[in-house]
Parts: sequence; structure tokens; C-alpha cells
Amino acid sequence: MTARHILLLAPLLLLLAVAYLLPFLGVMQWSVTLPEPGLGQYAAALTDPLVLGVIWRTIRICVMVTVLSVAAAYVMTLIWVRGGPVARVVIELCILIPFWISVLTRAFGWLALLSNKGILNTWLQHLGILSEPLTLVRNEFGVVVGMVHFLIPFAVFPLASSMRAVDERVLMAARSMGASRARIFWQVFVPMTRGGILGAVLLVFVFALGFFITPAILGGGRSVMVAELIYLRIFQSPDWGLGAAISVILMVTVGALLALMLRQVRGADR
Amino acid sequence: MNGPFQRDCLDILKTRAARGQISRRDFTTGLALLLGSSALGLRGTAAMAQAKELVFVNWGGDAGTAYDEAYGKAFLEATGITVKQDGSGPTEGAIAAQVESGKPAWDIVDVDPFSAEALGKKGMMEPIDYAVVDKGKMREGFGWDHSASSYFYSYIIAYDAAKFKDNPPKTMADFFDVEKYPGKRSMYKWGVGMWEAALLADGVAADALYPLDIKRAHDKLAAFKEHVVAFWGGGSESQSILLNGEASMALIWSTRAKLIEEDSGGDVAFIWDQGLIAPGAMGVLKNNPGGKDAAMQFIASAQEPEKQLVMFRMLGQGPANPAADALLPPEEARYNPVDPANFAVQIPLDMPWYEENYGPALDEYLKIISA
Repeated sequence: MTARHILLLAPLLLLLAVAYLLPFLGVMQWSVTLPEPGLGQYAAALTDPLVLGVIWRTIRICVMVTVLSVAAAYVMTLIWVRGGPVARVVIELCILIPFWISVLTRAFGWLALLSNKGILNTWLQHLGILSEPLTLVRNEFGVVVGMVHFLIPFAVFPLASSMRAVDERVLMAARSMGASRARIFWQVFVPMTRGGILGAVLLVFVFALGFFITPAILGGGRSVMVAELIYLRIFQSPDWGLGAAISVILMVTVGALLALMLRQVRGADR
Repeated sequence: MNGPFQRDCLDILKTRAARGQISRRDFTTGLALLLGSSALGLRGTAAMAQAKELVFVNWGGDAGTAYDEAYGKAFLEATGITVKQDGSGPTEGAIAAQVESGKPAWDIVDVDPFSAEALGKKGMMEPIDYAVVDKGKMREGFGWDHSASSYFYSYIIAYDAAKFKDNPPKTMADFFDVEKYPGKRSMYKWGVGMWEAALLADGVAADALYPLDIKRAHDKLAAFKEHVVAFWGGGSESQSILLNGEASMALIWSTRAKLIEEDSGGDVAFIWDQGLIAPGAMGVLKNNPGGKDAAMQFIASAQEPEKQLVMFRMLGQGPANPAADALLPPEEARYNPVDPANFAVQIPLDMPWYEENYGPALDEYLKIISA
């Protein structure tokens, strides 16, 4: 990177420092000073069954969401990048239209579709397929559906760039050596897009950790995730020290995962 | 950053323009000045210095309009002080953040009395000046050191009237009885009133509720929660759950009762029996920018029964001043949570208990409902 590059980046770095880094340092300070100096809040957070339960649920949901969204996005991106012209347009619309709709609207859309008296359950009951409605929202399943739907577009973009970078000649070489289509896909194509997969996993997982609105609406008040718990600790039953400690634990977890993934990605590129 | 500040200033402008106090042309000039100056990082100090105003912070939605209609306009006329509505939600943590910043931007908050007491003991709220605010215009037992009673609402049972027409529910025990009253239920996500409901259903006498036996309440809830389709977090959510037929019974805020009855065409009805009365209150932040005296004056001005009826008609809040009850005709009094007939069959929440125990009890509650 030259000095000019750094100069061009400076406004962004400055903004990040002022808008994110400084406030976060403040939060870190709270976590070790409120209500009294020391690491008491971390000990409290890491022994409190509520906090631990919420962190565990958050990670479990986020892992599920990440696997499902990246897998779905992989198929969609494959069609988008390598499919016929009609399929491309369809996929493009499927990715872009939800991308432009607000997260609230989408959550309520899922409610209208999947609730007990929603469109899907009503149809299935009218057709005689079901006698009792399926509970599809206002539980963890609903949260996962809503989050996957929200996050697929974010997985598509890193996947698309890595798929576009795949050298066609390598695939042709594999075919000329007599490899089957399945074998080319699994042993040549997928490994070559590993960087994109890891990028997508990372982006989706980190994004999912901070989800607030979707779980609140689609979880039926039951699936409290860590972002909502932090909100509760900072605003509702004020215990800033504990709220800050949970935030820092979340940040450290995210940071560690990022570092791990980056090492993996570098390994994959080598 | 600058966002909230700009929003505030734009709000002031819009309010004034809407009231015809400034011309459309001034409005545009002001807008340009504001946007221009803040883009340069120069805050509109001139505009701030001349403004004689109080900032009243409530919970957003239609509340701002109603507060302005009921109290704000009359106060401006009487004193020349503009009362600006801010819907950003004065949670206990947000109030603490305002005071701790050293330069609070808020004057008066629509606050839970138990939060105001907890904050007051930390020196973050002004004590209510009962020489200005009239205790005689409040219901007995509802004036606190750091907040003044301003309205009431209840946690009440609303039910599917089409389904339970012949034998409507009468008690919390009925709410928890899915054999007699089949169907799903919906309850409040943040605990208040739900502990009381569970204990009443479990056979605790109304006058023996406090101090709440949280363990017993949670055992009752743990055994019952499979029948709860959703723990709602906001009034509109509870309403849609009932209107969509997702639950056959819900514990809702009484402020929603009339709306639900109307929107469902009478298919969803409500009862007052064993309802749990919650008080709302106004409190003043320590070292508030508009001055303590002006804020107390505003609170006192909001005690007039006629003004409180505006709030009742717009938001369904029960009047704090008992003199207002008698001004309502029977068809309206039916929706008043503190109408003498309705009050008699309900139980007021115990604010000192909430002040001491709400935080830890809520933690336990969340553990139970999300387990």
C-alpha cells in the first residue's frame, strides 16, 4: 500500500475511529469500572445462567442460520453466475428484491405467511393435508427462517466474486481427463471457491450475532438473543457494567472467529 | 453524533410551522440554515438560546400528538413555553445516561414510578414539588417522591368472544385453564403483571399478593408456558395476535381494549375482573435544561381533569385526577381503568415491590419463558 492509498483511506479510518473505536473503548471502560473497578462483571456474566443460556442460544441459532444461508446462497449463486439468461434474471430478482425491503416488513411478511392462522396453514388445512396448524413462527424455527431469508443476499456477493474468478480452463481440463460432472463440482469447483465460502460464512455469522428485530418479532418473545439482552441491561434494568461486559465478550468472540477464519482463508489461497 | 440533535431542531421547526407560528418561508429558511450549519459542524446555538421550551419525553407512536393536544398547546398559551414532544423512550438506562452526561437534553419524562424512585435515590431525579403539584388532584396512594401520578392503565384479560360467548372468563384462574377455555394464550414479555396473574390463578388471595412469591409464580408459568403462543413486547403485537385468532385469550394493556373491541367488530371482548392496575407518572430530570420550576408548573397544569380526558379519549389512559371520572358518560366510563366500578374489581401493582425486585425477577422470568 502506498502513501496515497492510505491518504485516500484516511476519511474512512477516521470515521471508524470516531464512530466505532472511541465509543467501544468507552464500553470497555464501563465493563471494568461499573459499578466498581475490577473484573467482577465478567465473572458475573460468565457464571450467570441467563447470560450463558442466551449466549449459547445465540451461537446455536447463528451456526444454524449460517450453514443454511450459505448453502442456499451457494446454489443460487451457482445458477446466477453459470446458469442460462432467464435463470439469471430470476435469481437476480430473488436476491435483490428482498435486499431492498426493510427488515421489519419482511419479518411481518413471514408472520402473515406462517402464523397459525396464516396463509400457509390455512391452505394446508383447507386442502385437508393438516388437521391442526403447524407452529412455524413465534418460536426458534421462525427466527431461523427469518434470519436465513435476510442473510442470503449477504452470502451471495462473496460467493459470486469467487465463482467468477474460477478459471474455466481448469474445469475443461478436468472434463477432458474424464471426470464426471459431480466429481468436477465437488473436487474441482467447490475447493476453488473456498475463499468465497469462508468469506460468506464469516459475513453471515458475524452479522447474525447482532440480530435484534427479527428474533424479537418472529421468536414470540421466547428466543431472546444476546443483542436484546445487552439492550435490556443497558436501557431497561440498568446495569451498564454487566451490559458492557456482555458486549465485550461478544466482541472478543467475534474477533477470535474472524482471526481464525482469516488464517483459514489465507491457508486456502496459498 | 449529530442525528438526534438535528431531529430535535427539525421537530421544533415542524411543530412551529404546523401551528402557524412561523411562515412557510421562514420554515424553509430555517431548514436550510439548520441543515447547512450542522453539515459544517456549527451547532445552531442562536436558535437554541432564544427558545423557551421544555422537552417532554414519551414512548413514541401517537403519544406525542396526544400529549401535545392535551397538555402542550394549553401550556404554551398560558406560559409562552413550548413543550416539545420526544418519542425516544425514557427507559431507566436512557434517563441515567442523560443525567450522567452532565448536560441532559430532557426535562420531563413519562416514567414508571418505580424507576423514578430508584433513579431519585441515586440523585438523578428532582423531587416533586408538592407545593406546586397538587396532591389533592391525585388518587390516594399514587403520589411518589420523584414522580407524580399522570395516568393509569391495566393488565386485563381479553378473550375471543365468539368462542366463549356463553361462558366468558371471569378470573385469572380461567385464563390459566385451557380445558375450560381451549386455545392458545398470549402474555407480556417483560413480566409486569404476569407474576400477579399467575399467583392469583394459583389461589393466592388478592390482598396477600405482596411481597410476590416469585418462585411459586414461575412454577405456575413453567407448567403453563406451552399454551402461550407468544410473549408480546408491544401493544400492537398483542392486538394482532388476538385479531388473527392466534390466541383465544391474552393479557393486554387496557389502553388497547377499546381498539381491539372496535377492530374485531366485537369478536374480541375484555373484562376488568382481577385486572392489574399500573400507574404512569411524570418525573423531572436532575438539572433539567428548562429549569425545575417550569417543569413542575407543567406537571401541575396537566392535573386538570378536562385535559386528562383528552388523553383518555386519544390514548385510552385512565385519568390520574379522580375528579375526571365523573365527567365521563357511561358508554365511555366502561373503558376507564380507574372508573370506581372498574377499580373496585382490580388490584393495583405495588410500586415499592417493583422498585426493589423488578430487575432480578425479570431475569428469572426471562429464563423461564425462553428455556
